[in-house]
Amino acid sequence: MTVTTTAAIAPVLAVDGVTKTFRSGPPWHRRRVEVLRGVSLEVRPGELVGLVGENGSGKSTLMQIIVGLLRRDGGALRVPGRLGYCPQQPLLWDKLTVAEHFELFAQAYRLDQASANTSRDSLLDEFGFARYLDRRVEELSGGTRQKLNLALALMHEPTLLLLDEPYSGFDWETYTRFWEMAEHRRESGMGILVVSHLLAERERLTRIYELRDGRCEVTT
Amino acid sequence: MSRTTVFAREQLRAPFTLALLVTIPALFVVSAAGVLSDFASALGGSLAGDAAVALSAGWAAAFVSGTLGFFQAASSRGADRRLALAARSPARVAVSRIAASVFLAVVAAAAALSALVVRVGVAHPWHAAIAVLAFALLYLAVGVLVGSLVTAPLEGSLLVVFVFLLDAFAGPGMTGGSPPAWAISQKAAEILIAAAAGTSSPAGDWVKAALVTAAALVAAFLAFVASARSRS
Repeated sequence: MTVTTTAAIAPVLAVDGVTKTFRSGPPWHRRRVEVLRGVSLEVRPGELVGLVGENGSGKSTLMQIIVGLLRRDGGALRVPGRLGYCPQQPLLWDKLTVAEHFELFAQAYRLDQASANTSRDSLLDEFGFARYLDRRVEELSGGTRQKLNLALALMHEPTLLLLDEPYSGFDWETYTRFWEMAEHRRESGMGILVVSHLLAERERLTRIYELRDGRCEVTT
Repeated sequence: MSRTTVFAREQLRAPFTLALLVTIPALFVVSAAGVLSDFASALGGSLAGDAAVALSAGWAAAFVSGTLGFFQAASSRGADRRLALAARSPARVAVSRIAASVFLAVVAAAAALSALVVRVGVAHPWHAAIAVLAFALLYLAVGVLVGSLVTAPLEGSLLVVFVFLLDAFAGPGMTGGSPPAWAISQKAAEILIAAAAGTSSPAGDWVKAALVTAAALVAAFLAFVASARSRS
């Protein structure tokens, strides 16, 4: 039913035949590693899609190409203007507080003060880390850093949310809350792509792509 | 609160930064002037006395600013790139990051100038202030430039120190000959030495010092923006 409904809607993310080769070593002994050999996948509004693959299969490379951190060698890519990206390693400033992080990203997303405050308070409440608002990142546990990492990607209610191994470091309660958050956002029409080497919650996903030998296949 | 203020606050929260800002200028001006004179006489130069003390204030500001500029750019590179991606404007993040560094460079220059005035006094304090600030801004640019290209702390800081040493030993009065064209702080150093001696520098020196400083800051800005863009 969901598939029939969403299939008629234009995808929020369309990856078509994307290729990527890394070159390393000195010019006289250049090695080429073909990581992506024509990857295609799509995510439509209201879909929660998984991307799995072994370590080194190119999942994070593909994610970085989608968000614009890496250039692709070939293929086509269509992404929306409002993109939320939660990187695998929390990319945060150790000396800044949680509140200052929200402030910087609210400015980056061009949110007005009222929307920024509402969004911040709602995310702090949703992930249960409001008491750390005035703490510096260097004082936070790995799990709380990951919550902040995720919250920053969600602040502006993106059309497409890209999550790269988003729940590493979460305790069981936060892990459960994470999936509730994802389903809630999916129901409200957000397209979500979750990248992980291990996806235990398969029944929650609209479909799963597996990245193997540089190509993507739908597994469910 | 502006992005620049937040970035400046980030740097000031590192205990190492505050220690650098306070101790390095004082140490340089008190102890480095004699070393500079000794090196100059060994290399056949004429740098000595108040001129060496004045120059040591410039090098103090340069060293502190270069180090802070490097660590500002290198240590926060991942988070800055993410912010640039969210804002879809690496240039805005670059402007804020460099503006925060300029604030620290001004503080470093003020500390170095204060140490200089306390130690020997300066005949033309405003000229000296501008010259010390030029040193600080030049090396801030060198630090940010290196930090945008090299993230490893050891390699990056060594590279900043390498540029610093080459420039210091090639400066005016350090050898018997004229400073080479690549000595980036040459004009700022000549203005500083002249200010300490109570003489005014020719207009051409001021213009050249301003141009070199501006070019260095532009290069640092471009390197920062390039490092925040997509990599191939």
